[in-house]
Amino acid sequence: MDFDLSPQERAFRDEVQAFLTETVPPTMRRAQDLTTGFIVEPDISIHFHRALARKGWSVPNWPAEYGGPGWTPVQRYIFEIECGRAGAAPYNGAGTQFVGPVIMRFGTQQQKDTYLPRIRSGEDHWAQGYSEPGSGSDLASLKTKAESDGDHYIVNGQKIWTTMAHRSNRIFALVRTSNEGKRQEGITFLLIDLDLPGITIRPIIGNGGDHEFNEVFFDNARVPKVGRVGEENKGWEVAKYLLEFERGGTVMAGRVRAQFAKLAHLIAARCPGDSDVTARLAEIGTDLDAMEMIDLSVLSAHQAGGNPGPISSLLKLRWSELRQAVTELAVEAAGEDALRWVTERPLYETLQLPPDEEEALALMPRYLNGRAFTIMGGTTEIQTNILAKSLLNL
Amino acid sequence: MNLQYDTEQIILRDTAESFLRQHYGYDTYRRIVASDEGWSAELWREFAQLGWLGLPFAMEDGGIGGGAVEAAVLMEAFGRFLVIEPYLPTVLLAGGLIAALGSTAEREALLTPLSEGRTRLAFAFADRDTSTTARSGSRGFLLSGAKSFVIGAPMADTLLVSARVATGSGDHRIGVFIVPKNMPGVAARPFRTVDGRRAADIELTSVALPASALLGGNENAGAIIDRVTDNAIAAVSADAVGAIAAMVSATVDYAKTRVQFGQPLAKFQALQHRMVRMRVNEEEARASALFATLSLEGPPERRARAISGAKAKIGRCARFVHQNAIQLHGAIGTTNELSLGAYAKRLLAYEALFGSTREHLRRYGSLISKPEIAAEGLLVATG
Repeated sequence: MDFDLSPQERAFRDEVQAFLTETVPPTMRRAQDLTTGFIVEPDISIHFHRALARKGWSVPNWPAEYGGPGWTPVQRYIFEIECGRAGAAPYNGAGTQFVGPVIMRFGTQQQKDTYLPRIRSGEDHWAQGYSEPGSGSDLASLKTKAESDGDHYIVNGQKIWTTMAHRSNRIFALVRTSNEGKRQEGITFLLIDLDLPGITIRPIIGNGGDHEFNEVFFDNARVPKVGRVGEENKGWEVAKYLLEFERGGTVMAGRVRAQFAKLAHLIAARCPGDSDVTARLAEIGTDLDAMEMIDLSVLSAHQAGGNPGPISSLLKLRWSELRQAVTELAVEAAGEDALRWVTERPLYETLQLPPDEEEALALMPRYLNGRAFTIMGGTTEIQTNILAKSLLNL
Repeated sequence: MNLQYDTEQIILRDTAESFLRQHYGYDTYRRIVASDEGWSAELWREFAQLGWLGLPFAMEDGGIGGGAVEAAVLMEAFGRFLVIEPYLPTVLLAGGLIAALGSTAEREALLTPLSEGRTRLAFAFADRDTSTTARSGSRGFLLSGAKSFVIGAPMADTLLVSARVATGSGDHRIGVFIVPKNMPGVAARPFRTVDGRRAADIELTSVALPASALLGGNENAGAIIDRVTDNAIAAVSADAVGAIAAMVSATVDYAKTRVQFGQPLAKFQALQHRMVRMRVNEEEARASALFATLSLEGPPERRARAISGAKAKIGRCARFVHQNAIQLHGAIGTTNELSLGAYAKRLLAYEALFGSTREHLRRYGSLISKPEIAAEGLLVATG
């Protein structure tokens, strides 16, 4: 048992570091540091995505046959960690990490040929249409209706919490195609162009002042049936496959580690010698070390060909809490300065202050937006329900 | 990177668990704790035959050549089955010091009988009030001072005692002295600990030792003592993980069978969620212990971070699990009818031994509050 990277893995890490030094400009790092929402604006991250695409690295989790780099789990992890550390802004995880693998697993050849290259290149930007006003945790109760009309579906209804829909040209959505039998058996998974007539997008502004969420309304939108993934009424299986990626597939360690280091810096600058604050920083640090170690154990099991078990819900549960803990302590350490409020977003476009002052203005919005970490992608309570079954057989 | 147990480690784990399941139930534990000796000589002989007493020592010293991972595997099983024999003080602490400091002759003279189960040792390191000192004279050393909380001392034949070596030049260094317990001037005041172990406070009054009593002839053993103590913290952390795991699974099993309001407790969502949190704490504790174990050979700062981080983190997990395990068992959980209380006591001892949760959190905090260390991830920092 050891942590050691093989000589090949070390060489790979060096290659990734060299690539990031070259392709992550200070403007992108600053954008990452001053982004108060969950996602850096695509007009910043697209440049990095294109550089990755030129290198063949834009879809790190894809197998080689679909244009991915065909990396081992350890290589993927190293890549994600280094990206997080370097302040590289990921572009459209909903495309590369969520819908891409779904299309590979369940899509038709035509869907693969149409969509996968455009995710790789960054031409397409995807949004996720799962939640509805009446269907949050109870996702299977969704009502957005798709009625068959020849080779089209007529879609009516509403999606909500649609992250970055206003920056997207496509959406994958769960729609109801049947009210017969079990609720889960009447759901279909559709790929939809957002520029179709009958689709409107309305912004929702978060408590942090950011526009990331939206409502998406469907009013007799005619969606071609060629956009259906899997069979009609079999979309629940597709949806669940995707949720596994949403909950466990993202490597959090790099980014959270970078934010934790910034928090240490903030505390050293603003509350030197405050033993209470240092103790709380230390508790978060021990949690972070433990979570990284769990990540690595999962990775090692995966690398050895084993099944890591029902761990993705545990990862979602604890990483989301840890990210919140970092934002919470940062706000406390900044004291009154965390109350200064600038309404313009994104901050990196409007501010021209010394780095410490600029970053202090991001703390409260980030804390407020971060309350969503334990809600989106399946709430903490839902993850706990899942763990009660999967981990404890209750 | 490989974090999977290898075949031999799996065999060690399975052997330990099946042996202890068969021979070390709660009744055995209670009988041993209630005995005058506080350990079972018969089981100790079995441990020797199973190779456990020589596990961490090199083959040429008559050992099995196991490393920190093997020690952790065995200790996790000891924690899970409440093993109370003085494995930590004799094998890991005293044995570890002899292996690290001793000359070939000392290793042969001390480790072989230890591995064979013929002698037991204890390591007296914590000074009571003033520093224990060894004054060197023409014929050897005169050892004076007082040591507190020497775990395993009551059943030990020989003590290893750390002391400042006064050479007359004012240059004080630390050495480890081999002190037979029956030497004139050695007085032991034995006591029981909350979790059923035996320990003693030791008074040393001008104990006259030959020059050969200084282990390895080494007057500058401070760094090695720290290292061996860190090994012991990693091992006792694995023991705590075993105890935590036992409490979690006992609670889940109990909740599935205990019926109130017409249904098993396990059906109540509030209790399900609490048990999930206990299980998550177990998982995090296990991960922290593994990080500590795998960092023992790393650079000193990394080792300190992993060891103190693990002690602080697992201490917190242990507190959460033992309190909630008792709570979810209800009234019966507060009694010694079940083994639950014995596990709770073991975890309370873990929290306070080798530096408390709070002390280790402070030490970890002094490291991690440096942004360059805070930025260092687990994988990236290696190699």
